[in-house]
Amino acid sequence: MAALAQIHPIADARPQAPRDLITIRGLDKTYAAGSVHALSNIDLDIKDGEFVCVVGPSGCGKSTLLRILAGLDDYDTGEAALDGKAITGPSRDVGVVFQAANLLPWLTVRENVALPLRVGGKQTGQAEDIDRLLDVAGLKDFGERYPYELSGGMQQRAGICRALVRSPRVLLMDEPFGALDALTRERMNLELQRIWQASRKTVMLITHSISEAIFLADRVVVMSARPGRVIRELEVPIPRPRSNDTIISHPAYPELAKEIRGLLNAQGDE
Amino acid sequence: MSQAQTTIVADSVSIEKAAPKPKTAAGKHKDKASINGTFITLLGIVILFSGWALAVKYLAIPSYILPTPAAVWNALWSGIAVSPASPLGYYLPLWGTLKNAAIGLAIGSGLGLVLGSLMAESRMIEKLLMPYAFALQSLPKVAIAPLVVIWFGFGDGSKIAISALLAFFPMLINSFTGLRAVEPERIDLMRSLSASRFETYRIVKLPNAAPYIFAGLDMAVVYALLGTIVAEFLGAQQGMGVVITQAQAVTDVAGVFAALVILGAMGILLHGIVRGLEAKIVHWGDRGRK
Repeated sequence: MAALAQIHPIADARPQAPRDLITIRGLDKTYAAGSVHALSNIDLDIKDGEFVCVVGPSGCGKSTLLRILAGLDDYDTGEAALDGKAITGPSRDVGVVFQAANLLPWLTVRENVALPLRVGGKQTGQAEDIDRLLDVAGLKDFGERYPYELSGGMQQRAGICRALVRSPRVLLMDEPFGALDALTRERMNLELQRIWQASRKTVMLITHSISEAIFLADRVVVMSARPGRVIRELEVPIPRPRSNDTIISHPAYPELAKEIRGLLNAQGDE
Repeated sequence: MSQAQTTIVADSVSIEKAAPKPKTAAGKHKDKASINGTFITLLGIVILFSGWALAVKYLAIPSYILPTPAAVWNALWSGIAVSPASPLGYYLPLWGTLKNAAIGLAIGSGLGLVLGSLMAESRMIEKLLMPYAFALQSLPKVAIAPLVVIWFGFGDGSKIAISALLAFFPMLINSFTGLRAVEPERIDLMRSLSASRFETYRIVKLPNAAPYIFAGLDMAVVYALLGTIVAEFLGAQQGMGVVITQAQAVTDVAGVFAALVILGAMGILLHGIVRGLEAKIVHWGDRGRK
């Protein structure tokens, strides 16, 4: 943790009022020649260094939104910009953490984590020290192992290391812990908070879990059923570092959970 | 013919494997199922060979139709128990056949992999080549052999060409299928890293297709051997195909059987080598699939 803080002294140098790093205006997206309306008029700003969790019913277009920000999908109308520049494709400034780790089974953990440094043309900009990343993620002794020799939680930590290795400014996480059991998931949330506090990346994380969203987020964004719209944004006023025990006893927690659940239930499914 | 070949070879291998077992397993009462299994296999072999021997003897089957097991064994032994340089042994013809099959395999499967890759990468090339691939695939390729002999002559060239032709298709189809079967999440990963097309091919698609490619290679090895033998039937100086046609010419049926046993053993050996290579290279096995 200390190691990452050293590489990124920006944690101390943050401006008083962080500017918006990601700006989304009136974003619209349809699939299958217009027959599936995935996203409708999305407006969303994410500040530099902010941790935003997006929750919403299944198939509400959360993943589509993430893919558009990652430059993997295009959009029909509206704007999506990263640091003032319109997003037209994948960027070095963005690291993506996929569902179910998505490691390559023929590469060792170290090779998987180092993959972003090997591909994508001439490498410019900062690169993290792989040993330090593995150490921070508790994978120090597993670098030479293959992914199938690791538990699901360890695989996803390696996936997070891989997303961080190019030292991106934004981390996009698509239900990264959805495949893990509840206990491992709580532990991973704790670790992710620790890694995030050390690195101060801007994070957008998609989840189905209300408790995970409240635990991790500075702000929870609730989306409607398809076509996806942003129906509510809720600040989480719970101080950090948060722990799985203290967060439930915070007075804001039950109110937030109730409100989010109410919003989701009003959408029918889920 | 190939039916008879595999039956005989499978049995001869079972004999070697099963023979030492009764000694060690005799006194043990556990592993009863496996003892029974071994016993049944052994019994089957004994019945097959004694039935074969008895049938030849009492049904008065002439040796130019079906030789006795002992005659096949003698023919086999006379080809094995000689100096490797002897023109009477199996070693020189086997070497000639294997060499041509190996060169044909390398050329055919190499071309199959390259064209399969191009077809998997480009819809245009796929549209261009797939009709010919299917047309040639559905053609009994052995029927082309006489034509190939006209083009390449009776030397090594025609053997290599037919082997390459037969080895080409399983590799083409399997590499094409395997390269297309890549999980979209893995392609998304490489896209998110702005990886080039060739990086995506080399780092994700090719390893992902490795199990398919090995399955293709497994078939291609047997086909390459088949191709060389067929070409040798049509005319050759040396090779196992020549051994078979020469034995046939003098109605030495035991000699034909013995050569088939050798070819079957080669098939099993080559299959084992490919499987061993696959286990070593594709170490992640099925764990790479979701």
